Amino acid sequence: MPEVFIDGKRFEYEGEQRLLQFILDNGMEIPFFCYHPSMSAPANCRQCMVKIGQPKKDRETGEFELDENGERKIVWFPKLQTACNTMIADGMVVLTQETDELVERAQKDTLEFILANHPLDCPICDQAGECPLQIQTYKYGPEGSRFEVKKVHKPKRVQLGPRVILDAERCINCTRCVRFTDEISKSHQLTIMQRGDKNYPVTAPGREFDDAYSLNTVDICPVGALTSADFRFKARVWEMNQTPSIDISNGKGCNIDLWTRDNLILRITPRYNEAVNDHWMPDIGREAYKLFNENRVQRPAQKLDDEQINSSWNNAFETLAEKIESTDKKEILFIGSPHASVEENYSLMTLANLLGAKTPVFTTNIIEGYGDGFLLDDDQAPNTNGCRLLGLEEKDAKSLKKEVKSAKLIVLLNDNLIDREVLEAGDLNDKFVAVFATNRTETSKVANILIPVTTAAEHAASYVNVDKRIQRTFPAKETKYTDRRLDIEMSEGRLDRYGTSFDNWVTEDNKVDCIPFWNFVSQLGERLGLKIELRNGREILDEISNKIPAFSGVSYEEMDVQSGISLGGKKETVKS
Amino acid sequence: MAYEFTKEDLEQIEKIKAKFPEVKPATLPVLWVAQNRFGHVEPEVQRLVAETLGLPEAHVHGVATFYTQYYKEKMGKYVLDVCTCLSCQLCGGYDILHHIEDKLGIKAGETTEDGMFSVQQVECLGACGYAPMLQVTNGKYVNHLTKEKVDNLIKALKEGKEPDYEQMEMPLRKV
Repeated sequence: MPEVFIDGKRFEYEGEQRLLQFILDNGMEIPFFCYHPSMSAPANCRQCMVKIGQPKKDRETGEFELDENGERKIVWFPKLQTACNTMIADGMVVLTQETDELVERAQKDTLEFILANHPLDCPICDQAGECPLQIQTYKYGPEGSRFEVKKVHKPKRVQLGPRVILDAERCINCTRCVRFTDEISKSHQLTIMQRGDKNYPVTAPGREFDDAYSLNTVDICPVGALTSADFRFKARVWEMNQTPSIDISNGKGCNIDLWTRDNLILRITPRYNEAVNDHWMPDIGREAYKLFNENRVQRPAQKLDDEQINSSWNNAFETLAEKIESTDKKEILFIGSPHASVEENYSLMTLANLLGAKTPVFTTNIIEGYGDGFLLDDDQAPNTNGCRLLGLEEKDAKSLKKEVKSAKLIVLLNDNLIDREVLEAGDLNDKFVAVFATNRTETSKVANILIPVTTAAEHAASYVNVDKRIQRTFPAKETKYTDRRLDIEMSEGRLDRYGTSFDNWVTEDNKVDCIPFWNFVSQLGERLGLKIELRNGREILDEISNKIPAFSGVSYEEMDVQSGISLGGKKETVKS
Repeated sequence: MAYEFTKEDLEQIEKIKAKFPEVKPATLPVLWVAQNRFGHVEPEVQRLVAETLGLPEAHVHGVATFYTQYYKEKMGKYVLDVCTCLSCQLCGGYDILHHIEDKLGIKAGETTEDGMFSVQQVECLGACGYAPMLQVTNGKYVNHLTKEKVDNLIKALKEGKEPDYEQMEMPLRKV
């Protein structure tokens, strides 16, 4: 097998590999800014300098030439090379900043040049705390600068597009954003303007940077030059904590991170998953964070005289139980939801089965022509395939209306059927409607009893995306009834760990009064004298995988290890 | 105002495109075609070039702004690039620049009202041996400038007479 020597250690490798990526993959480090594993390597930041050599071979015998100590003679490149665009070759010898003083010096001096015109904005810069330039200056940079002249001033607060703001002074011209629009989103909207110390990225004159994926440039910007118009100045990075999750605004199921502070989701960023979304996600998915914070249903509510009045949980259980008991089971319609998780739909199915009612139905939420073949799919719901695989009955709008007509009691699991014009409010007149909802919508308004349930940000649950890949979320946000210090699945940020209830930056108000749907079903089952034991997502999924063949072998452990499991559907990888 | 290439221009552009395996490298020469036709490559002209070549507007904008020889705004008929870099500066480059500014009644970076002249202060044009010097509209060099020579040049340009190429002798090195 071909070999390569890095800092005196021998490594074996296979196939064509970029040296920088190989070094990173093997747990070593070289500073870099412009390189990104999913894009081309133009080597224009010059930060990943290393010393490279090849062993000398005798041309006639093909043997390595040895020196007096029996070591291979190395022919060094006359100058330092950038590791990002160097392909590894057999026998290559590489010295990094760990072992070579020249390399260390070169990296330090390159940083001094990069910083020559970089403003000392860090205290007010959004990127501070997650800034490669900041981190690498601490690690590899010079103690001070020898440039005593005034820094070059460039435009600040340039609104490049509706969602992205540019601070040209902070830009180090790595061209990651330009290459992103050229190679990944293919909108070709950005370019580097001017040259020398005057250059910075812009759109063509009179054009907006309205790419559907524009916010990815904010993520990959190695400095604070591109910032999100929405998230700007909202929170420092170190005050938030980061929880892996799944995008619930589209059927693609992009892997994401939810960033929370004091139980508010403040932003959503993509999480790497080669099989689904690579490093990217659409802008529209990032706006979904508002769903978790705003307009939430709190406490159960009951409709009295056409007005929904806040009620107690006990009342909710009693009222619904009485209604179920007093209604002919044939006239109860359970409506599942492609917007709810596999576990929630399964809980609904369990309840329906034990009551002897019909199998729950669901309607898809697909907008033809919405998808773009990349990370946006026609399917607007995160779990359409989950409902199908569970065996819920798929109905179109017309036949659902028919079903609704013949029912007396309707139990609707988190799906905004009226908002998306599958049903009209008039269809539900004279019926008793129990709505389990996360947010207040037109649909929640018609509920005779409205029961708040947890969102994807508050429970661990799994979703099956358009490619039949099952992936799961983690609880990121506490409800009134959970505590992140007691739930080992929840992450703790600095404020969560050290804050007390007497701090003025911690409030109870952001915790929503809701419970997971399966908990409600279990308690309702107890009241109705049914044997339902649904405690948490993990156990429910184990039960599902034992009972339903499509889910066999699926468990949270396995999903975590493989970051999602393909359920027999076609395997698709995002490579543009 | 909408800009359009003439039929001859389009033929020329086709010839330029045929020279390269891809369209991208044709950006530079086609920008020249545009500048020769319109006298500048304003954003609208850049857009025309992008549309003609089928390239992203942003790319054409990036290329046009990279090179100072492309005029990104309307300029005078004659653009006088007066060198004030080191050698010219030592030989009186600034005197020449200020003389031109006074004579035309404009500052460096401006254009006369009649649209005849623009004056720019530029860095080294690589003619240090014949300092001070200036360049007329990205083209001919006028060397060893004196105030009289500048006066004559401006007079001739006003009459539409472009300066001749000057043959410059390098001083022979004595052995």
